[in-house]
Amino acid sequence: MKKLVSVLLTLCLCLAAFGALAETTLKLGVYPEEVATDAIASHETYIEKYSAQYPDVTVERAHYKYSTDTFVPMAEAGTVPTVFESWFTEPKKLIGGQFIADITDELEARGWLSKMNPSIRTLMSDENGRVYGVPRDAYALGLMLNAELFEDAGLVDENGIPLYPKTWEELAETAKTIKDATGSAGLCLLAKDNAGGWHFSNIAWAFGATLENQDADGKWIANLNSAEAVAAMQYVKDLKWKYDVLTADPTSEDWGTGFTQLGTGAAAMYIAANDAVNMPTQQNGLAVDKLMMCGIPAGPGGQYSLMGGTPYFFAANATPDEINAALDYLVIMGKAPELTDDAIEGLRVDAKNRKENGIPNIVEFPAWSDPELVAKRQEIISEYSNVDARMFQPYFDAVATEGNLRMEEPQNAQEMYAELTKVLQAVVTDENADVQALMDTASANLQQILDEQVNK
Amino acid sequence: MKSDVVFSGAVRRYDLKRPGVKVGYGLMTLFCILAAIVALLPILWVIISGFKDLQEFNRGVKNLTDKRYYIQFLPQSFSLEGYLKTWNQFKYVRYYLNSLAVVTGSVVTAVVVNGLFAYGLSRLKPRGWKVVYGLVMATLMVPATTSIVPLFVNITKLGMGGSFIPLWLMMGASAFYVVLFKNFYDAMPTSLLEAGRLDGCNSLQLFFRIVLPLSMPINIVIVIYAVNAAWSDFLLPYLLLGGTKLETVMVRLFTYRTSDRVNNMDIIRAIVFSIIPPILLFIAFQRQITQNVMSAGIKG
Amino acid sequence: MQTSPIPHAGRAKAKWKRDLGSWCVMLPGLLLFAFFIWEPLLEAVRLSVYEAQGTRAIRFVGLDNYRSVIAGPDFWPSVTNTFVYLLWSLLIGFLLPMALAIGIHESVRGKGLYRTAVYLPNIVPGLATVFLWKYLFKSDAYGGLNMLLGAVGIPPQGWLSNAAIVIPMIVVTMTWKGAGSTALLYLAGLQGVSPELYEAAIIDGANVRQRVWNITLPQLYNLARTLFILQVIAVFQVLYEPLVMTNGGPNNASISMMQLVYRYAFDQYDYSRASAVSVIVAIALLTLTFIYNRVNKEKEM
Repeated sequence: MKKLVSVLLTLCLCLAAFGALAETTLKLGVYPEEVATDAIASHETYIEKYSAQYPDVTVERAHYKYSTDTFVPMAEAGTVPTVFESWFTEPKKLIGGQFIADITDELEARGWLSKMNPSIRTLMSDENGRVYGVPRDAYALGLMLNAELFEDAGLVDENGIPLYPKTWEELAETAKTIKDATGSAGLCLLAKDNAGGWHFSNIAWAFGATLENQDADGKWIANLNSAEAVAAMQYVKDLKWKYDVLTADPTSEDWGTGFTQLGTGAAAMYIAANDAVNMPTQQNGLAVDKLMMCGIPAGPGGQYSLMGGTPYFFAANATPDEINAALDYLVIMGKAPELTDDAIEGLRVDAKNRKENGIPNIVEFPAWSDPELVAKRQEIISEYSNVDARMFQPYFDAVATEGNLRMEEPQNAQEMYAELTKVLQAVVTDENADVQALMDTASANLQQILDEQVNK
Repeated sequence: MKSDVVFSGAVRRYDLKRPGVKVGYGLMTLFCILAAIVALLPILWVIISGFKDLQEFNRGVKNLTDKRYYIQFLPQSFSLEGYLKTWNQFKYVRYYLNSLAVVTGSVVTAVVVNGLFAYGLSRLKPRGWKVVYGLVMATLMVPATTSIVPLFVNITKLGMGGSFIPLWLMMGASAFYVVLFKNFYDAMPTSLLEAGRLDGCNSLQLFFRIVLPLSMPINIVIVIYAVNAAWSDFLLPYLLLGGTKLETVMVRLFTYRTSDRVNNMDIIRAIVFSIIPPILLFIAFQRQITQNVMSAGIKG
Repeated sequence: MQTSPIPHAGRAKAKWKRDLGSWCVMLPGLLLFAFFIWEPLLEAVRLSVYEAQGTRAIRFVGLDNYRSVIAGPDFWPSVTNTFVYLLWSLLIGFLLPMALAIGIHESVRGKGLYRTAVYLPNIVPGLATVFLWKYLFKSDAYGGLNMLLGAVGIPPQGWLSNAAIVIPMIVVTMTWKGAGSTALLYLAGLQGVSPELYEAAIIDGANVRQRVWNITLPQLYNLARTLFILQVIAVFQVLYEPLVMTNGGPNNASISMMQLVYRYAFDQYDYSRASAVSVIVAIALLTLTFIYNRVNKEKEM
């Protein structure tokens, strides 16, 4: 027995020593899933370049698709890859749980911090200003249109471009026309999970609502039952009961099904962001030239687009060497604010891949405020253009308007969305639902959560 | 008389001469037929739907003259193209083999380890067994959802990530199976075990030579349950095997929820792929299975 | 025992030795239970009285987490719903298998076919079942059920969006999967009734109803008692059906207590509160089981 133990111990020591000598290992969570053969081909070219440039880093292809039911077990067990892509909703709880690495120093050393779009940077920082993520890209919500249904309903201008709605009132009318002419829903509204509340907050802004306020003492106040917010919810209720232009059951629609409805022509309009143009097309079969995007319609309170960013995060147990190795990889992918030849090549590979796979090539939203970089990206995208620019111009015009972009509500956004989603579910399933009363309850519930978690 | 052999329940042939009984019996038969249809129809529906393409499934078929969409229950063609695409694209052969490996190992531990444990609780009853049995019963009541995190941490600490071993071993710790085994062993005649003892068997030999072979009915029940459970499990298998070459069929279906490259049709077909093997297995062994389940009924 | 030839001390020693041997036989099971079930469970339970970062406990907070989850906006709806789930699953899910078993047992033709048919759904994996029924309940004209209705001219129904029927519909899904295997267990019980019993009753002049009431049902009674409490335990832990099919909606109409656990743990990464809800579920189940056993014992006496 003793002998066995000592043998094991020696073995462990040897392994430890070997580990110390070994080169850095980059566990690449951003490596694509097995079936995405096209994206894998792109990444193989990145890895080839990377290995030539950084021969002492071992690259491990460790595809990880972030999901909330798998992340914590992996994080606690230390099996999360060095770098992985996550969602815009996650920074706060990932930072709070110490599940991801603080990369402020590494970013500072590279001079990337100052180049990060300030709103996005706030999104990825804790209250002390330490930064935990690198944005893959930024996004802003808009309205995606199925042009084929607009054509079938005769809603196109002389050039065949769909006559998109500019206000919420127009949207209801447009939706009605399409429903009457084609039998398809005018709008796919989400009410299954938090994505419903997320979209609704953008509608509420257009009606003039602010959903959370801070009082003079710095205390956060839930404001879901203001006249404006209630008017917005009443509008949603009318979409169902007065205009009847929604898909059969909004309470079964989530982010993914919305794209299926839009892509297969079951719905003509859907609130979605510019970074998801692959979803209705490549994923759900809509022809590339039948997808249009315009801005979120305006309301009595103005026109806003909810803005956020998709982050890359780094495993909490990653060493500075590993973090740097991962950042170097992002440079080669062209996702960093460094315009090297490799980065330009990386962008090209990506744009070419999108074109070949029927994904609209449209300009990404700059997550880095580096004019040279933005210009270069624009140039590469137009080089591989596969869409009619007029189909996306209304969207880019809307978000380029001063004051249009707006970050999500600052405190406990997910809990707020959950409360709003419950109200959405009530108003689209019950014709007699009392909007004011429901919004009062939602606001009170949110206040309770704010008091418990923020105002303590 | 033959009729009395088949009419072995409460209703006999001559009862049917009375109109009330006849109607009641007719309704009962109708109920059984309906139940069979309700049980089978969803399975049939999903298999048929797998032949459709996404638009056909989600939106119907577009009529080019009036530009409206129409519902069709049957797919436009029964070509296997869709199924083949999903099959090849997602490399199902490998997932089947992996699932088979998980199931095989799990079944062995499910029967041997839980059986031994229950045998101890039912027959050997060393001092303190009641406490342990209480713990096993309590396990049934406490939801295990959140304990997945400490469990996975422990497994990783032992360096057993990325292998089938934890999945095999885990099936050896099922409170439900232990209870079922114990119920069965409790009802086993003591004389058989006594005879074994007199032949000089120790406890372990007794279990493997006498108890286990005499428990075929319950063994088969547990085998069916374990095959089902091992085949169906997804969260721990995902954590252990996700991203490796060892992913199982259900891990695949589980990852589909979040995949960027999967649409409804792939999910529909994945459902079909995940139910065909157990169904074939069940039909192949139908006679043995139902007969043994029947004779093993809990004498609760 | 008193006549045992072994002297007292030796007897105790022999018993010790035998116990040790017995524990050794049970050792593999014990180890696996400890590693896979009990230790993780204990850690989760411990977390319910701590403030935690991830699953790392950092500060003892007593019952704070419990207070917080009970005060949460979704707690009481989930408790009420759990009892509604229970009610429906007893109405549909508990009686149906019994009726099925009696029906199949009394059938003369097609026994094997019925048996196979009703058992097949049971081998459809749980995850596949909920996905499948989500598509069947799809509320536009293309959902499986609505297609059937459409064939006979009835307009599409919102199966899962109607707060009044969403729980029964979820129970239908659970019953579809579970009824067959329970029916087989009941059938096994009926198999044990010797046909002579019925014959004797017939000679006594009992009619069909009396035969079923006095012979068939009592045979199922014991088994039904065990299955009843197992079903209560299962219903209290319903999770994936509402999670995938409705996400608890509309407006909390179908949220279950385990879904609350799931939301705290897997949506908010708040394992302390998730554990607190788990413990509440466990306490409720232990209490119910205790009362149930008590009542049963009293009845027997």
